[in-house]
Amino acid sequence: MTSVTSETKNNNPRGHFSELLKVEGKLALREPYGVFGVFFPVALLVLFGYISGQVPGKVANTGLTVLDLYIPTIMVIGFISIAITSLPNILVRDREIGWLRRVSTTPVPPSRLLGAQLILNLVFALAMVLIVIFGGEIIFGAPLNVGIPFFVLSIILSIAEIFSLGLVIAAIAPSQTVASALSGLLFFLLLFLSGLWVQPAQVGGPLQTVMYYSPSGAATRALLYSVFNAAPPYTTLVTMVAYTVIFAVIAIRYFRWE
Amino acid sequence: MSQVSDSLGRSQIASDVITVQHLVKRYGGFVAVNDISFSIRKGEIFGIIGPNGAGKTTTVECISGLRVPDSGSISIFGLSPQKDRNEIRKSVGVQLQESALPPRIKVGEAVDLFASFYSNPLDPDDLLESLGIKKIKNTFFKKLSGGQKQRVSIALALVGNPKLAILDELTTGLDPEARRETWDLIEGIRERGVTVILVTHFMDEAERLCDRLAFINHGLLRALDTPEAIAAQAGVNRVRLVPSQPVDDKTLYAIPGVSKVERKGRYVTVTGTGDLAASVINSLAKIGVNVSDIEAKTGNLDDAFVKLTKEGASGVSGGVEP
Repeated sequence: MTSVTSETKNNNPRGHFSELLKVEGKLALREPYGVFGVFFPVALLVLFGYISGQVPGKVANTGLTVLDLYIPTIMVIGFISIAITSLPNILVRDREIGWLRRVSTTPVPPSRLLGAQLILNLVFALAMVLIVIFGGEIIFGAPLNVGIPFFVLSIILSIAEIFSLGLVIAAIAPSQTVASALSGLLFFLLLFLSGLWVQPAQVGGPLQTVMYYSPSGAATRALLYSVFNAAPPYTTLVTMVAYTVIFAVIAIRYFRWE
Repeated sequence: MSQVSDSLGRSQIASDVITVQHLVKRYGGFVAVNDISFSIRKGEIFGIIGPNGAGKTTTVECISGLRVPDSGSISIFGLSPQKDRNEIRKSVGVQLQESALPPRIKVGEAVDLFASFYSNPLDPDDLLESLGIKKIKNTFFKKLSGGQKQRVSIALALVGNPKLAILDELTTGLDPEARRETWDLIEGIRERGVTVILVTHFMDEAERLCDRLAFINHGLLRALDTPEAIAAQAGVNRVRLVPSQPVDDKTLYAIPGVSKVERKGRYVTVTGTGDLAASVINSLAKIGVNVSDIEAKTGNLDDAFVKLTKEGASGVSGGVEP
């Protein structure tokens, strides 16, 4: 008697996944972490757009304005905010409170929940990229010349690399407390290496090399070339692929559902 | 061993919907479940009782397919929880011990989400209504009281319209009123024709709700019967009375069947076996002592629980293989 209305509602076999996405999306907007990954880069864009307006001219010998130089850094920081801060915290919490286990008793495998989380965070990441690129160009007048093939490749590799690192945290952290501590530490380290406080172009020497071959520094470098329609250095792309493979292997090896 | 249990499985009585044969589950060197066998009939509330750490949760986790047994076989509606995992999940609803929902999910969202996981779910609104939680449909999970959280957990276990519901430590942490309301809900589940496995360490709950009980201690099945039969096994009676004049312990212990004497104010409580009240009253009347305020209690499940638990403790290595 009670199933008549629900049958018509649920005869779509894919119904559960769109329902999962819908609920996870609503949850993300309610979480304190949820919109941080979009909000923080936008705040940085406004900040550096303002600084760039106050300090016109080129930075050091790069031939670029402050904003030009920072747009790739801001995008990478967006990925870090989403994949290192938000994603592992929510996944580890869902595991810790027994939500993943609860879902695993239903006909829907908990991997679907993980899939929905990943898709949702990818959407946030892409939305953030579009806001930063168009916001930078249109509102703050950054003279970008985005080379689509290079840019798409660099974005894919940056996301793959930084999201895999986030999943490493989700895999190895036994509790949300540990996950927050780990992600907090990594967050600031990666922010530094991505050039938030000082750009690799400004430091030179061994520190520049360390930044260029760090996960977030390599991503920033690849994106910097791409937004000015240049091919990212081969070594940078190989570095990103190598990090992606290493992080993905660790994450898959150590991930637990309970 | 599996061949033996397969043939037993096939010859099971038609009304048995769940059979567990020689179930063994180890965690490292610790044997959590040690050769447990029982069957559950269609539509009954089957209780699994025992002290903390007895192996109750492990047993139901094996039945629900969350854990893989080391040996033995389990059949649920003719299916194996391990081999037919996907089929079983469609017809078994599980309420897990210590399992929470994301803090900011709304009750209605959670129940709708779980309904979307099943091909023939109950109507979420009707279900919330019948569980008395429709008015908190738009409340975040973290804002709910303990009793409301348990109701939501029951709703999630039932929304898939299961044939079997497994409820683990359902009323732990609830206040007495919420516990009684939860009991009514479980009786309501039975009326829907759903078979229920109820894990509990509350004897009043088991006594009130369960048709049959399995008492597990140190991973071993110690008793399998109706609550009344298990209570009777303990064979303990208790009489509380007020004597008209002081009676010393020696006199009381001399009465046939008396095993223990306790005093509290003017009340004397004797514990023992047999027709205790009659023999105490008669014996005291013979020495000219009248009694008043008599309260006689036959053995209950609590007594049986204590007795069975102590029996288990005497063989300390019970749960661990030598």
